Amino acid sequence: MKPSLPQPSETELAVLVGSLPSHEREGQVFLRLRSAIGWSNLRGLAAHAKLRTTLVVGLSVLFWIGLFVLFYEGFKFVVSHVGQSGASLHAKTILFVFSLFFSSLQVMLIFSAGIILYGSLYASRETKFLMTLPVRDERIVFFRFQEAIFFSSWGFILLASPMLVAYGWVVQSPWYYFAYLPFLLIAFAYIPSSIGAIGCLLLMRHLPRMRRVAIGLASVVVIVIAYQSIWRTLAIADADLLGAAWFKKTYLRFSFTRGEWLPSTWLSHALIDAARRWDLNPDDLPWLESGKYLVLIVSNALMLHLIVKWIGKRVFRESYWGLATRPAKKGRVDLAWIDLIAEKLMFAFPKQTRLLISKDLRLFRRDPVQWSQFLIFFGLLTLYFANVDRFRQHKTDLSVLTWVNVVSFLNLAVVGLILSTFTTRFIYPLLSLEGRRFWILSLLPVERETIIWGKFWFAAGGSWLPCSALVLLSDLTLDVSWMVVGVHQLICLLLCVGLSGMAVGLGAMMPNFREQSPSKIAAGFGGTLNLVLSALYILVVVLLTALPCHFYLLAGRAEMPPKFLQVGYLRFWLLTGILASTALAAVVTIVPLRKGLKAFRNLEV
Amino acid sequence: MLKFDQVTRTYGDRVAVDRLCLDIQAGELFALLGHNGAGKTTTIKTLVGLLRPTSGTVTVGPYNVTEQSREASRLVGYVPDQPFLYDKLSGREFLHFVASMYGLSDAAAKTALEREAERFQLVDFLDRLTESYSHGMRQRTVFAAAMIHEPQVLVVDEPMVGLDPHSIRLVKDLLRNYVDAGKTVFMSTHTLNVAEEIADRIGVMKAGHKLFDGPVDELKSRMPDSSESLENLYLALMEGAGANPTGEMPVAKEIDPVPTSEQSL
Repeated sequence: MKPSLPQPSETELAVLVGSLPSHEREGQVFLRLRSAIGWSNLRGLAAHAKLRTTLVVGLSVLFWIGLFVLFYEGFKFVVSHVGQSGASLHAKTILFVFSLFFSSLQVMLIFSAGIILYGSLYASRETKFLMTLPVRDERIVFFRFQEAIFFSSWGFILLASPMLVAYGWVVQSPWYYFAYLPFLLIAFAYIPSSIGAIGCLLLMRHLPRMRRVAIGLASVVVIVIAYQSIWRTLAIADADLLGAAWFKKTYLRFSFTRGEWLPSTWLSHALIDAARRWDLNPDDLPWLESGKYLVLIVSNALMLHLIVKWIGKRVFRESYWGLATRPAKKGRVDLAWIDLIAEKLMFAFPKQTRLLISKDLRLFRRDPVQWSQFLIFFGLLTLYFANVDRFRQHKTDLSVLTWVNVVSFLNLAVVGLILSTFTTRFIYPLLSLEGRRFWILSLLPVERETIIWGKFWFAAGGSWLPCSALVLLSDLTLDVSWMVVGVHQLICLLLCVGLSGMAVGLGAMMPNFREQSPSKIAAGFGGTLNLVLSALYILVVVLLTALPCHFYLLAGRAEMPPKFLQVGYLRFWLLTGILASTALAAVVTIVPLRKGLKAFRNLEV
Repeated sequence: MLKFDQVTRTYGDRVAVDRLCLDIQAGELFALLGHNGAGKTTTIKTLVGLLRPTSGTVTVGPYNVTEQSREASRLVGYVPDQPFLYDKLSGREFLHFVASMYGLSDAAAKTALEREAERFQLVDFLDRLTESYSHGMRQRTVFAAAMIHEPQVLVVDEPMVGLDPHSIRLVKDLLRNYVDAGKTVFMSTHTLNVAEEIADRIGVMKAGHKLFDGPVDELKSRMPDSSESLENLYLALMEGAGANPTGEMPVAKEIDPVPTSEQSL
């Protein structure tokens, strides 16, 4: 046996423990970590992702300007009816609008911050790493909470800032309105985000096994309340819509969004007061009134900040342990009915292709990240399409008919655009993800072409069914002519085939076998290129058929059709548009697939 | 220095670790062996604060890992089986962050960083982003991070996986030297020849139970029929335990009652 060495004394160990960093020092170290990662990310974006960065920044600026113009015109209209800031009706109306807007976003921020915090705190390798270091628990919680605030509230800032700048501009607000604005927005966003974080920590501590049910139930309650309120507001006869009685009822119906205890109401009051100009009355100082609300919001945000840290210190590690030691699920995997149906539908394919498609289908089915996003977006679209029937009431009116056609083609384009995000996010990375298990496929007696074709048919077939059903629902709700239904179905098919061909082809041409995360693969150059090309393709294909179709329908209805609206002439252009779209779809499908096949055939893994 | 006292950890109805007792002294290299699912990783996770024992206590020095996790982790350096590094930091930035978290001043962190960079031969790639590192480079960086504060207890989960022969030699020498300098190493491994070569004591687990705890020579003396390699002894031990699925001292027929950790020292 080895002779024992002297053991370190408790005093020696206490000295080591005593050297641990203070709160302030710990905060500085994490701040330095955050800045180093931030700068490194920025340098990486500037050096390796110029296209994506330019696109994201450019589109965000465009989006901001678009919203600004929209809100500017909207507020001009409102002010022309309710008077300038300071008028009683103005304050009442703007309070209604702001309270409704901010209270809705308040609820969304609570949910999004809570869910993001859950993902980054309980399901991340970084947290696990930090827990093995002598870091205070509240510091870990706060570190991840900062990220949750950032990721949940950037959308809020992007949406609220153009609206509030436009409002300030329209009512010619004094300087302090614009000076208060960033502080008000940031402090306000902090409050619901903190509530979401507190909810997340307490839920994980006390109901870790019920977390999904609890979130689901809370979401259903919020959706039911929102849907009820909106439905009641809109479910009235056309004649009463926007009338005085309707306004009064609506104002009262949404009084719950103006509760004095709601941060959204404090923010609304702060903004309305700050936008008022001082009329030299020493008893009424708008900057002071607004400043009081600012102090109220900031102090509440700071108090919630302390509560988050306090709860984080007490419950985080316990909740983490509780979650980490829950019994493992014993999931049984049977052959689902959907697999059996897919098997039957694929009878025409060679067996190897069928097997590959079945494998991809099972992976998709068993990955909630994929199908839940698919379900959310397509579910929301279904909800929207099922409620666009207001046009039907005036189908004899030519201008309404025009809108019906425009909206039906816009709906088609929306389905295409959402599909393009899915093909970029889920289909484009498919071949790259095979890289880690490529040895299995390369050892099987399967041609590499078969793998590519398997992915293509999986994507095209899998997307065509739901997209086609959605477009049909939109057309039936809008009651468009059968000719338009036929054109839409054809275009929908072309979009599904083209977008799938592009995503699979580009994915094969630019595989990234080092990356394991599909979202990171999709966010690379190839994924961004796929998204941009997909958007252009959708735009061109829809325009090629929408314009001739639109004028063709007008030509039959207008009393005095001008020369270029002759039916025979337009029929020719409609046919030409359809043929051109088909030709473009063929090019968009075949060229990337061929190049992808060639690149994949020559790939050395 | 390191003590598991009647530690049990369950996942629902499943008992991952059952009444584990271990006492490991400074200057000792302890290797924990066992099949997949034996409870090795759960044992390590309770030691580094990633899991709380359902019952029993784990202490590092005078500190209870569950109740004084921050103090206990100051004394521990941990090399997990799946190393974590910040992709967007260089090795130097990462090591500096870890050193600062252990309470080293900027100057002390710089000195420690240079020492570890030299020891693990990181100098050539220390200023590159870690996202570009190979597995071996990552593993060496994580070792450096775990040792940057010269911990009293080094906990290593599967240290040799994915390392080239040169790095394996480096790690083996390092662990041995570290223990010879009076520190403690707690290692979990499937690489039996490494355990045989460098461990002072081995622990064998099966289905959450400790089947054996003592020096390799003791195991050899208790199983005279087996050939001398640890691999054969280990497999014979596991086979013997297989007759009793509860693992309640199943090797008693072949081996004397499993000694307590105190007895084995």
